[in-house]
Amino acid sequence: MIIDTLELEDITPDDIEPQAALFGDGLGLDSIDALELGLALQKRYGIKLDAEAEETRSHFASLNALTALVEARRVH
Amino acid sequence: MSFVSLCQLPWRRPAPIASALPAHWTDSARLLERVDAWRGWLEGRPAGRWILCQPDPLEFTGALLALWETGRIAVLPADDRPGTLAGLIGSTDGQIPAQLDVPNHSRALPHAPAAITPTTAALALYTSGSTGQPVEFAKSFAQLDAELAVHHQLWPLTEANGVIAQVSHQHIYGLLAAVLHPLCSGAAFCGEDCHYPERLAERMTEAGLAGLSPVMVSSPPQLARTPEHIDWSALPRLQRVFSSGAPLAQAHAERAESLLGAPVIEIYGSTETGGIAQRRQTVTDAWQALPDVELTFEGEGLALRSPFLAEPEQWWQQPDRVSGTPERFHLLGRDDRLVKIGGKRVSLDRIERLLAEHPRVMSARCVDLGRNDGRLGCILVMDTSSLPHEHPQRHELARQLRERLAAHIEQVTIPRYWRFVEALPCNAQGKLDRSLIERLFEDLVDDRKPRWLGTDLLDGRSCSLALEVPERLIFLDGHFDEFPIVPGVVIVQWAVQQAERSFGQLGDFAGCEQLKFQRPLRPGMRLRLDLTQRENGIAFAFHSHEGKHANGRISFRAATVATTEVADD
Repeated sequence: MIIDTLELEDITPDDIEPQAALFGDGLGLDSIDALELGLALQKRYGIKLDAEAEETRSHFASLNALTALVEARRVH
Repeated sequence: MSFVSLCQLPWRRPAPIASALPAHWTDSARLLERVDAWRGWLEGRPAGRWILCQPDPLEFTGALLALWETGRIAVLPADDRPGTLAGLIGSTDGQIPAQLDVPNHSRALPHAPAAITPTTAALALYTSGSTGQPVEFAKSFAQLDAELAVHHQLWPLTEANGVIAQVSHQHIYGLLAAVLHPLCSGAAFCGEDCHYPERLAERMTEAGLAGLSPVMVSSPPQLARTPEHIDWSALPRLQRVFSSGAPLAQAHAERAESLLGAPVIEIYGSTETGGIAQRRQTVTDAWQALPDVELTFEGEGLALRSPFLAEPEQWWQQPDRVSGTPERFHLLGRDDRLVKIGGKRVSLDRIERLLAEHPRVMSARCVDLGRNDGRLGCILVMDTSSLPHEHPQRHELARQLRERLAAHIEQVTIPRYWRFVEALPCNAQGKLDRSLIERLFEDLVDDRKPRWLGTDLLDGRSCSLALEVPERLIFLDGHFDEFPIVPGVVIVQWAVQQAERSFGQLGDFAGCEQLKFQRPLRPGMRLRLDLTQRENGIAFAFHSHEGKHANGRISFRAATVATTEVADD
């Protein structure tokens, strides 16, 4: 989903290490990507992010964190 | 509470209001405490120019006003990258720390001045000039006050407003609209941590609970992505939404207005000029000059005079192309090599120069691809021995290049699409033209195509092409899950398509001979495709640094006459 949403051309699923940071130094994603991912989570899995605390974007910290979010909160 | 200009120190007016807002909001009572704390910290330190780069609006404003009250100048870097800050050390007298080591100040401080002289320098701001080097622009209190007066005239705020910023106050737009205008009007404000819609919704609720009417200071990337799943109509109604940094697409402006239920006002301007014009696209897509701003059009060129400029009487040439009249005009784009990505301005020259410093890069060409995502593409000329041959090498090289740029430019402006070539492709005039650029990035638009990286014509009948297998090639799906390869039929199709682009129409496919597939083609692999014209067709060979991957001959027969022509007979 990450690669498709953000049209990352030179990244394959194998390049995304489950623990590594998606943003900044890791995969090099940025604040616009975070907005896109937020929209994609809602579209694809019906997940609504809430503003409560650090929690929200900390789900975007790594692939593992994002996967955990999708598993726990997916509606469809 | 009425509007008070900066020179009259609006934050020092009597009876500061303590609001019922949570602590991440800046109100006048909280602010005064921070101003005094920073004044205490500054005591005994050098006068002059101080670097101020601080994301928290309360600490930012507290330190800013403390600098002003003590006759110092605030230097606002555009970002906090180490490269940016290092470049400023030599021309400044100090840097405001991220946190105050002594949080409160109890000693008696000298009285704040009763007023500030308008001609005094208030700020230095930075923007990338056409040379690619950041250029400093000083702003006096008179310039800031002139522009704030126009904001107040067009979009008045009162102490019954709460201003929510989704943009940084390190730039002129965020500083004026989301910090200084509320400050002069006695309105509370909060900051950039509302970048994401969920946080924004929370801040709107907080403003509502405190009895304030929220105003939002936003930008196109955020407004374009306003999510529908938040029930905006259930939140306190926004009084007004501002957008600046780049033009907002009309569809996005309309969508944001209908979702947020508030007028979306766009401001056009630049660091150098301050605000120039405004529009509301649900009313008209034409821009209208701001009050006090005088425009003249010469051809597609734009010049202006305004009290927001350092020299209000001088005509300033703005490097944007325009059409229309000063009362109703349209923007046609920049006439230099500056582009905006996600509202952040970046110089293509500067990116190219930074990339060319990489030891493996001979030269770089950065291009605005005009894609919906706004992201840049970059074509890098490299020595043959330095070119990446496999996906992991390519991935690592792109990572290194991104890392190199990240120290100097905003993250969102870093090119996303990389093309590594032995020589810059060129047309008959020796230029890399638009159609060549389109061909270089064609695989982004059509996921059936290989990534083309140049063609060497050997003689009239043969040529050699550089290609890569795109990682997102549609044909990789569903072949072998664990070992994605390019199917043989696609390899033959690529040979035919590329031959037709090199030699022209070949006729109807008649058959293949001597087809051999020696090695699989894997995603990210760099290839050479050698093509030779033969009597009835072509010979092709794909090879990589590993050796030969596929070769064969394809024959064609003269094209059948098109059916429409037959019908005409």
